[in-house]
Formats: sequence, C-alpha cells, structure tokens
Amino acid sequence: MVEPVYIVASGLGIAFLLGLINKAGKNPAGGVMLLALAFMTLVSLQWMSSVVFAGNSPHYTFTAGFQPPFSISLMMGEKEAFFTTLVNLIGLLGGIYLWERFHKQGVNTMIVYLLLFVGLNVVVMTRDLFNLFVFLEISSVAITGLVLLQREHKAITAGFKYLVATGIISGILLIGIIFIYQYGGSLYIDDIIAANLTAVKGGMVAIFLVLIAIALELKPFPANGWALDLYQGAHPGVAALVSGAFASAMVFVLYKLLPIAGGQWQTMFATLGALTFVGSNLLGIKQNQSQRLLGYSSVGQIGLLVMVVGLAQFLGDRLTLIAYGLLISHYLAKAGLFWLAGVLDQDQIRNWAQLRKKPHLLALFGTFIFALVGFPPFPSFFAKWELIMQLSAGSGYVWVGLILLGSLLEAVYLFRWLGYALKLDHQQLPAINIQWHKIIPIVLAGVGLFVLGYLATPIASGTAGINFIPLAFIILIYFLDVLPARVKNIVVIAAMAYYGYLIMPGLEDVRFIFSVIFIIGGILTLLAGFAYKGRRKGFYPAALLMYAGLGQLLTAETMLQFFFAWELMTIGSYILIIRGKNSIRHGYSYMLFSVGGAYLMLAGFGVAYAGSGMADLAAIANITQLAGWAAVLIAIGFMTKTATLGLHIWLPGAHAEAESDVSPMVSAILLKAGVFGLVLLFIHMGGEAASGHPLFYVLGWLGAITALVANLSAVFQEDAKRLLAYSSIGQLGYILFAFAIMTHVGWLAGFTYTLNHFMYKAILFLIVGGIVLRLRTHYMYEMGGLIKRMPYSFIAVLIGIVALAGMPPLSGFAGKWLFYNAGIEKGWYFQGGVIFFSGIIAFLYLYRLIHSIFLGQLKDRHRRVKEISPWFLIPAYTLIMGIMVFSAKPGWILQPIGQAITQYFPSSPLRWQADGTAIGELGYWNGSQVMVIVMGVFILITLWLILLNRKAKKVEQFNIVYAGERPERPETTHISYNIYAGYNKAIGFLATPWISGLWQWIADGFRDLAVQIRRIYNGNGQTYALHLLTYVVVVYLITIGG
Amino acid sequence: MEHISLSQIAIVAGILLILIGLWAIISQRNIIKMIIGFSLFDTGIHIVMVGVGYVRGKTAPVLDEAVNVKEAARQIVDPLPQALVLTAIVIGLGITALMLAYALRLYQKKKTLDVKKFNDLKW
Amino acid sequence: MDLLTRVLFTLLGLFIILNWGLLMTAIMRKLTARVGKRVGIRWYQPWINLVKLYSNRNSISHGVMFQLGPVFRLLGGVGLVMFMPLIYGSELFTNFSFAGDLVIILYIKFFGMLGMALGAGEGGHPYSAIGVSRGLSQVTTVELPFTLAVIALAVQYNTLSITEIVAAQQGGILNWTLFTNPVATAAALLSMLGIFMHSPFDLHKAPNEIPIGPPTEYHSSYLGILRTNAAILHVIEAVLFMNLFFGGATSWPMLIVKTFLIYFISVFVGVVFPRFRIEQSVRWFLQVPLILGIVAIILIL
Repeated sequence: MVEPVYIVASGLGIAFLLGLINKAGKNPAGGVMLLALAFMTLVSLQWMSSVVFAGNSPHYTFTAGFQPPFSISLMMGEKEAFFTTLVNLIGLLGGIYLWERFHKQGVNTMIVYLLLFVGLNVVVMTRDLFNLFVFLEISSVAITGLVLLQREHKAITAGFKYLVATGIISGILLIGIIFIYQYGGSLYIDDIIAANLTAVKGGMVAIFLVLIAIALELKPFPANGWALDLYQGAHPGVAALVSGAFASAMVFVLYKLLPIAGGQWQTMFATLGALTFVGSNLLGIKQNQSQRLLGYSSVGQIGLLVMVVGLAQFLGDRLTLIAYGLLISHYLAKAGLFWLAGVLDQDQIRNWAQLRKKPHLLALFGTFIFALVGFPPFPSFFAKWELIMQLSAGSGYVWVGLILLGSLLEAVYLFRWLGYALKLDHQQLPAINIQWHKIIPIVLAGVGLFVLGYLATPIASGTAGINFIPLAFIILIYFLDVLPARVKNIVVIAAMAYYGYLIMPGLEDVRFIFSVIFIIGGILTLLAGFAYKGRRKGFYPAALLMYAGLGQLLTAETMLQFFFAWELMTIGSYILIIRGKNSIRHGYSYMLFSVGGAYLMLAGFGVAYAGSGMADLAAIANITQLAGWAAVLIAIGFMTKTATLGLHIWLPGAHAEAESDVSPMVSAILLKAGVFGLVLLFIHMGGEAASGHPLFYVLGWLGAITALVANLSAVFQEDAKRLLAYSSIGQLGYILFAFAIMTHVGWLAGFTYTLNHFMYKAILFLIVGGIVLRLRTHYMYEMGGLIKRMPYSFIAVLIGIVALAGMPPLSGFAGKWLFYNAGIEKGWYFQGGVIFFSGIIAFLYLYRLIHSIFLGQLKDRHRRVKEISPWFLIPAYTLIMGIMVFSAKPGWILQPIGQAITQYFPSSPLRWQADGTAIGELGYWNGSQVMVIVMGVFILITLWLILLNRKAKKVEQFNIVYAGERPERPETTHISYNIYAGYNKAIGFLATPWISGLWQWIADGFRDLAVQIRRIYNGNGQTYALHLLTYVVVVYLITIGG
Repeated sequence: MEHISLSQIAIVAGILLILIGLWAIISQRNIIKMIIGFSLFDTGIHIVMVGVGYVRGKTAPVLDEAVNVKEAARQIVDPLPQALVLTAIVIGLGITALMLAYALRLYQKKKTLDVKKFNDLKW
Repeated sequence: MDLLTRVLFTLLGLFIILNWGLLMTAIMRKLTARVGKRVGIRWYQPWINLVKLYSNRNSISHGVMFQLGPVFRLLGGVGLVMFMPLIYGSELFTNFSFAGDLVIILYIKFFGMLGMALGAGEGGHPYSAIGVSRGLSQVTTVELPFTLAVIALAVQYNTLSITEIVAAQQGGILNWTLFTNPVATAAALLSMLGIFMHSPFDLHKAPNEIPIGPPTEYHSSYLGILRTNAAILHVIEAVLFMNLFFGGATSWPMLIVKTFLIYFISVFVGVVFPRFRIEQSVRWFLQVPLILGIVAIILIL
C-alpha cells in the first residue's frame, strides 16, 4: 500500500522539480506532470479498492509521529478514497485536455496546476481544521493563478472578483477557526466534535463562522455572482476543474465538518441548498451564454448536493448511492460540457448547432444533458429516484417538491440548449477544430456516465434488476449508423420482432393487449421507414429507444423499472419528435411536459413508497396514508402523455411537425403508454372496488371536455397533420372517459377505443404522412382532387374515417355502443352527452380531411403526382385488415378482453350469445350481423346503380354544371379554407386556445422573475462582496438569532 | 472591570481593523484601495488570533533559560495561535501579491483602476 | 322465421314506406303551396319525377366516389329501415332489429350523410362543398338535444331496445313518452325540426344562393336514388320519433297517421318561419332545445 501522504508528497515534489525538468523542454515537463497526476490517481484508486471494496478499515497518517492534536492527521477512509479519486482523475483528464495550453504557457502553469490538486487532496483527507484552511487557500490561489495565466480580459476581471470573494470567505473561516480553538482547545476535527461547542454561545458562533465559510465556498444562491463570473470568464478547462474537482471536494468538506455543529443546522444547510438549487436554476432560464449557463447549472447541482448532505438523516443507508450518484453525474457531465465548450469555442448556446458538424460530439452533448437532468441509464437517475423515495419515506414532501421544482427549471434551460444544438441552422457556423487531447477526456466522461450508470443499477434496483440488453443493442445501432437506412430498418424490425417474441408470450391480460399495440404497431410503423433513402442519421437509435422503453414498461414489475422504462421512452420519443423540420419548439414543449409529468409521477411513486414500504408496482394498492395524493400525482403524470386538456398544448405541434412515419408512431402508439399507465394505476387502486373514488369522477369530466375542445379545435385546422393531432387529443379524451367509468363495460369501451384509435390513427397518419412527403405541404387547401391520383390512399382514409366516426358496421361503432351502455349504466349522462356531441363534431373534421385532400378539384401542379409510397400503404392496409376483422367478429377480441378484466371488474359483464350477439344491461348488438346486413344492402344498391348507370360517361375535371376556374389565391378563395366559418362564428369560442395562453403566461412569469432576480449579479466585485457579508448576516440572524 | 487586559484590547482593535478593512473592500472604488482594505482585514484577523492565544502572565513559547522545561506547559502561552498567525500572514501576503498582480493586469487592459468599470460579466 | 321470409317482409315494409313517403311529400308540398296561395303539384308528381329520373339516358360520372355517394346515401335510409321495428306486436315487421338497438339507429343515419358529402365532394362543385359544410355544422348541434332526450328515455325505460321502449308505452295514450316524459319529448321534437332539415333549417340546400346544395352535380338516376332515399328517410325518421315518443304503431294505418302528423310538425314550422343563417341555426339548437335536453337529464338524475 502506498501511503496516502505520497499523493501530497509526489504532487509537491514534482511541482518543485518541474522547474528543473523544464530545462529539458516543455513536453517532458508536461509529461512528468501528467505522470504525477496519474500516480496520484493510482494511489487513490488503490485505496479505494482497499477501503471500499476489500472492506479494510480507514487508514490514518500522522505527521511527525505524534498523535493529534499535536500533529496533522490525514485520513484515508472510504469517502476520502472516493473523493481523492474524483479529484485526481479529473486532474489527470483536465491535464490532458489543457495539454496544448500548458505547452503554450510554460512550466509555471503546470506548477500551479499541480498545486491545485495537492491542495484539494489535502482538503479532502485532512482531519485538522487549520490545515484545511491552509490547503483550501492554496487551492483557491491556484485557481486564481490558473485564471490569471490566461490573457483574456474577461478572465482577469472574473479572477479578480473571485479573489476578492475568496479572500473574504477565508477571513471568515480563519476567524471561525481561531475561536473554535479558543473554545475547544483543539483543531483536530474529532476533538471538536467531541467537545460539543454548540453548548456555549461563543462556540456556536465560531462553528457558525466556519460552516458558513464552507457554505460560501459552495457558491450559494444568491451570494454567488463572483463564482458565476468565474465560470463564464475562465478557460473552460479551468472552469471544468472548479466545477468538477473543487466543488466536489468542498461538498465533502461540508459533509466532514457538519458534525461539529452536533446535529444542529442540518435543516438550515438543506434549506440553503434548496434555495440555491431552485434559485440558480430559475436564473438559468434566461441565460444564453454557454459557460455562464453551465455555471448556473453547476451552482444548482452543488446546491442539490448540499441539500443531500443536510438531509442525510432522512436518507439512511441509501445516502451513499444518492450522494455519489448525483455527484458523479454532475462531475462527469459538467466537466464534459465545459470541455465541449472549449472545443466549440462558441459563446452563445444558439451556436451550439455547430455540434451537428460532428454528430458523435452531439451524441456526447446529449448524453451529458440527459445525465444532468437525471434520465436513465445514468447514475443521477437512480440517485434522484432514491432521493425522492427516501425523502418521501421520511415525510419530507416539501423537500421533494423543491427538488422536483429545481430539477424542472434545470430541464427548462438544458433542453432549450439541446434543442438549439439539434435543430438550429449550422451551415453558417465554422467547422469544429478537432484536437484529440481535448476530445479524449470528453469521450471518457461520456463513457464513464454509461458505465457508472450500469454499475449503479444493481445497487438501486436490488434483486429486480433492469434489462440492459436492449440498451446495449441501441448503442450498437448507434455505431452502425453509417449503414443505409434500409439495412438498418431490416435489422431494427428483426430486433423488434425478436424482442416481441421474447416478451409477448409471457405477458398477461392487460399487458398483452398493450404489447400488441407497442410491439406489432411498432413493427408496422417501422415498415414505412423503407420509403426513406439515405442514412437517416440518428433515427434508428431514437426509435429503438422509444420502443425499448415501451417494451420495458410492459414487463416492469417494480416502480423503479417502470419509471426507468418511462424515461427511456421519453428520451427516444423526444429525439424522434424533434427530428421534424420545424419541430424545435414542439419538441421542447413536449420534453418539458414530459419531464414535468415524470416528476409528478416520481412524487406519486414516492408517496406510494412511503405509504406502503414496497417497491413493487403493487405498492399503489397498499398505500396506508395519502393514497389519494399518490393516485392524483401519478395520474397527472400519465395524463401529460395522454395529452389531457390542460396538458395537451405540446401535442398538436409535436405530432404535426414530426416526420411522416414518426407521426403514426407517436400518435397511434406512444400516446397509449399514458393509457397503459392509467390502466395499471386504476387496477392497482383496486379496480371495481375503487370505482367510487372522486378522482374518477373528475377524470370522467376531464376526458369528456378534452374530447369536446380538442375535436372542436380539429375542425378549425388548415393543416392536415395538425387536424389529426387534435383528433388524437380528442380520442384520448374518450379513452380517459371510458376507463374512468370503472365498470366492466366501461373498460371494454376503453380497450375498444384504445385498439381502434391505434389502428385508424396509424392508418390516417401513415397515409397523410405519405401524401405530405409527396406534395411537400401540410395544408389541406393546397391539396384536393387527389382521389384520381391516389385511389389506394383514398380508400384507406375512407375506411379510417368511417371507423373513427364510429359508424356501423366498422369497429368504431363497437366503441360507441359500449359507450352508451357504460355511460348510462354508470349514470354519467351529461358527460356522455358531451362525449356524444364531440363524436358528431368529429364528422366535421373528418369530412374536411377527406374532402379537402381527395375530393374537389385537382390542382394543376398535382396532375402528375404519384400514389404514395407502397411502404406507407402496406402497414396501413395491414391495419385495415385488423379493423375489418375487429368489425366482422368483435367477439373474437372483446370476449378475451372481457375475460381478462373480469378479475378487476366482476360485476355486470357483457354477455355473449352463441350467435355473437353482445347483451349489456340496456342494449344488444351483433357486430357480425350488422356487417352482413349493411354489406348486403350496400352491394345490392351498388349493383342496382351500376345497372342504371352502365352507360354513364366519364367526364373531365371541369365539366361540371357551373364549371369555372377559381382565381389562383387558394388560401382565401378555396372552399376548404376556413370551411366552417359559420360554425366558427357560432361556437368557435369554445376552441379558443386560452390554455396555451395560460402556460405561456406561466412560462413568461418564470422568465420575468429570472430577469428581475438576476439583476443582483451586476458584475461589480464589490457588490458581490457585499452579497457575501449580507448572506452571512442574514443566515446568522435566522439560525442563531439577533 | 478595573483592568482591561491586553488581549482584550488586541481583540477589540483587531475587530475594528477587520471592519475597517471590510468597509474599504466594499466601498472604495479604487482597486488599490480595495487591496489595502484587504491588508487591513487580514491584519485585523491576525491581531485577533494573537489576542485569543495570549495568556496573561505567561511568557513566550520559546524554550530558553526563562522557561523551565518541565514546567513549560504552565509557563508559556499557547504556541499554536502564534504558529497559525505566522502561516496566515504568509498566506495573506500571497493573496495580496496575487491581487496586486491582478490589479496590474486590469490596469493594463482598461487603463483605469475603478472597480466599477470591470463589470463586463454579469447576469 | 326463416331468413327468406324476413327478407321478403322487410322489402315489403320498405316498399310501403317508400310509397307512403312519396305520397306524403306530395301532400306536404301541396299544403305548402296552398298556404302560399299557389296551386301546387299533382299528388302523383313524385312518382313521375322518379320514373323520369331513372329513365334518363344521359348520364355522366365524375369518378367512383361520385357514383358511390348516392349508394351510401340510400344505404343510410335503407339501413334505418333494416334495424327499425316498424309495427309493434308484428314479428313480421320487426325487420332486422334483433341485430342492434337504438344506438345503431343513431349512428347508421350518419352513413347517408357521409356518403352524400363524399360523393358531392368528388363532383367538384364548390356549391356542393359549401352545402355539405353547412349541413354538417348544423347536424352537430341538432343531434345534441336529441341525444340527451334519448339518454333520458333509455334511463326511464332502462333499455336501449326500441321494441322494449315501444312495449313500455302500450296500454293507453297516457303511457306515451309524450306524457310520461314531456320535457325529453319537447327537446327531441325541437331537434326533429333540424333533422328533417326543412325551413328554417334548410340552409344546406339554400335554393337561392347555392342551388340545392350537395346534390348540385347529381342528375338522372343518381338524383333518382337521392329522391328515393329522401322519401324513405322522411318516413323512417318519423317512425323513429313515433316509436320513441308516441307509443309506436300496432298497425300500418296507425303508422301512416302518426308519421304524417309528426312530419307535419316540421312542415308547419317551415311554412311559418324563414330560413336561418348557419351560425344562427347552430346557436339556436344550443339554446332552448339544449336547455330542455339538460332539464330532461336532470329530471332522471
């Protein structure tokens, strides 16, 4: 075992020697410095393996052979090993990253650089307060030195402010230390803890001063303008160190010193952390400068860690996972992002679109962003999960709320940034200058996140585990992205089929029904991908990610597995949605609603965990307290995905602007994930036994109003895909309504609608998407008469809309019939009336859709347009066969579903007669007979008409009674434009988008708040100093009192 | 209290210096004056430290003929604060030097030492 | 009863309904004309029209959907007949109502509407599209009070089966829904004005501005089919109201009298009131009729 003190010794020694080595040239000097850092890293790693993994007891080093307090003692325990490893590793990587700069600026920089890490190592290991002070100063001075050695003006001003601030902080620390010595008689931390100084007023003040100084080093909001300036002004390589190494070490110092307050002030520190986390992330919303934004994020994350330290008593044995998970994600991701900032050298986050010139860097950027927000499979995901669970278990719901609020605010700016990188124009931006010494650390940080996430999984999920094979496959597909799209499509479809083959036979009742939608639907919609040429970069990993998430939702047993899958699905669908040409705004709002919804769900799971003590999904069924809250939170979470009114504003744009084959995926399939969640929730709430719960009454009304407003909005759309998107919202309203009825027949109606909507919405979106690909327009008034050019599309759409409208004999009618029976049986007459009204309004938009696209006059420019790609027709017609089977033999599908849900809803099921007649409490219906009768009459009449008109003469387009050309200003004179003007006049006000306005108002409110608050950072070092002092005084007054 | 002890005077004076220093840091627009404020602040802290460590009637912690080696622990003042002060002075010196270096750089960039002129980074 | 007998009797019922529909149309037009101090048509004019239309030798087609439009339209009307029990107590004239209940009646109607809309659409005439958009707009709110009334009935009689609803109204005029549930009946009858699409709710055809609306492009046998359907539809919709609110019919004469009177209501109103604009008619149904519908629901809560 190499003594820990050699970390310090080697660093110091090499630092002194560097001056000599420099004579041999700069490269050898740099090499030796890196070797020193590598050695330091190795020593820490070796201790980590010894103490953490081999379970050896902590090692103490005493200087000069004395025992404390007469000597300085270094401790190398589990945590010290971990933190020194972090510090040294980033020192090594950061050293590699800064290689070129060291080369340019000479050996002095290297010496300062080494000193920084010597300082930080001691800060972590020392058990002596004054020693801590000294090496903290060394580190601070080293940082300022590193900043100073860069010649840019902004770096110098930032460094000066930093120096002023840390000068004041160290003064406060020093005063605190000396008074602790006076009252406690020792500077050995263990002695100070034992002395329990808080009993004396003076001792309390002394401890306060020490701890507040440490807190100030952690850059608490709002006394942190100096730190933000440093993050912005310093070289990104240095900023990465401040954020990764220095801040990590300081968090540990706080953890180490907090016991000297004897258990007091933990709540205070948690509060300060929460204030920082929320406040800093709030201000980040308005920030457009990349490094400063990273500064806000960094400060926020450290605030979260301070919170965790303060709340340690709630977290029990999960503290390690939580703290390390959060810390390491922050550490790797933030360092990676700062390093990326250095590679790009783009000040404004808008210009990060430059990343698209190097897609792998873009992937790394995405990795860092998702890791920061806490998405799977990164360690922060598991850490945040455990944090929320444990806090909930300790009834710390206020903390939960603050954490989720802060996280959401962080997501607001991080995803804005990611959106810019993914979507904004990058043609005008310069090429990226690739220097391998800069890229390697970034890549390692990215890989590290994946590996550590994988390693963290078993700790977090216990025996249940998480299946990483799909994820591994997705990574493989990512690396196969150079292949042509068609090849990848085959591979991906085969993989989906295999996955379905693996999981589907093992699924039961409800899960199996949804597996049909997710897996088979997934394969069908992927078929449309054959219509695309080229490579379709990035499409397949995203699509697979979404489907892997959906698949894992089906097999999820524990809440963690479910949430993991849910978030995977969200990542994949986000990337898919934002791929659309004009999707930047819509992808962004989709993500924000998803993240918000996921956090509510997380809070709900937390309540469930707290109330039941179980990790299984069945926990929801066993909640002893606050069960209603859990249900409401989780339900709202799911309803962000089902786009229930109020949470729907992301959907129209997201679905309308998505690529042609993505729209059916996200509309017909993805939305059902929310439905699946609700179904599971309702089942676990107790099925029939819970049907009296007021939640369902509210949901029933919500579903009905959603259907009404969304259908009405669909009527007034000019954009075909937007019309279908609003239609989806409305249909999901029906589904919510049906499941909320909570009776046997109601659920049958719900499943019928779910399956039907999957089929006909996929058909409609596929066909309309195919047409959009052909015509290059979404606007219906620019179409028309296409029945002549695209007969197969027309037939498919016709069948789709007949099914959607619920007209007999197609399967949509099954849903309507079940609705009437269920609604009346339940006594929901008004809601049922609203639903029915919405159903008729659906005729308006369906007619508009089919008429404006296919009927009326063909446009001149479309005279030669071809039928849509067969790859869009094949899945559509496959689904039409599905609809036909469902229509002709509804019993084949409804009877098994009925049997599956009887266990949850035993009362008054639908009875089936031998001839296929379904008999409910009120009515009866025989789908097969209706089909035969209607088809019989149809055929007879058709034959008769053919007989009558056998000599009918085919005429040309304009040969009509009042043949005449229209002027060529289609959007105003085309009949399809504003076709329902009168209807709009009558009741259009119902579709006024005031909900979008409401959300806009909320968003603006947060933004304005951020603008107002961030004025305190006026850039003046003196003001920052004043902030520090005021902060100390205010916290003092609050904690100790005037 | 009839006799105000030396250490109390030292502590009060030190605290006064600290306050004056802080005032200078916060209110003086000239960077050099701010740095002087810092020196005052540091010096104040050092005096307080010495004051805290001083014990009336004891001698300096140097083992010479004035101190009986066996009785040392009772005769000398606590040596530690003095050691700390020495270290702190060194550190303070380093920081002051660094600040002056910064002041030089800042002046080179904008030909002014008015701290308010250096607020390019904000918000 | 074997399938053939059932088919034959259904066709017989259809034949009676068609002819009664034609006759009723003629009578109503005659009445309207007399109110306007005109002579009006001869009573057999509708038959002459049909014969003329079906025997037109000139005929053109704008495409497949154009041809299917009238087929769908007639399917709507005939479908209603198929699933509607005509004569209470007569097994022979229950048609195919065993295959579906009131809900199927409510939805099969839309088939005709849709077919008409699509067929007219392929005709490519702008007036057709204008007519269709107006007609559909109006239908949405017309159906709302009617549906509320139907829900009230289903709850009152605890069934969605038309046969059972008629059965419950037997045994005297006071057992009719008209008297047992006057509010629902009122709501439904106001809706009926819109369902029959007579003045003041005939903007979709608006003879002056958009000559005859959706069927503008239709002629010869296409128009013949549409006329045939109109005759059937008038009667069968009146039969629906008769079954739901006026005790049904136990014999053909009773059916004829009742449907005449029911249809007469809308003609009467049409003679008295001038045409509404589209936003006026849409709103009109959301006022008194909707309130009546809501009251009907409140009464059964």
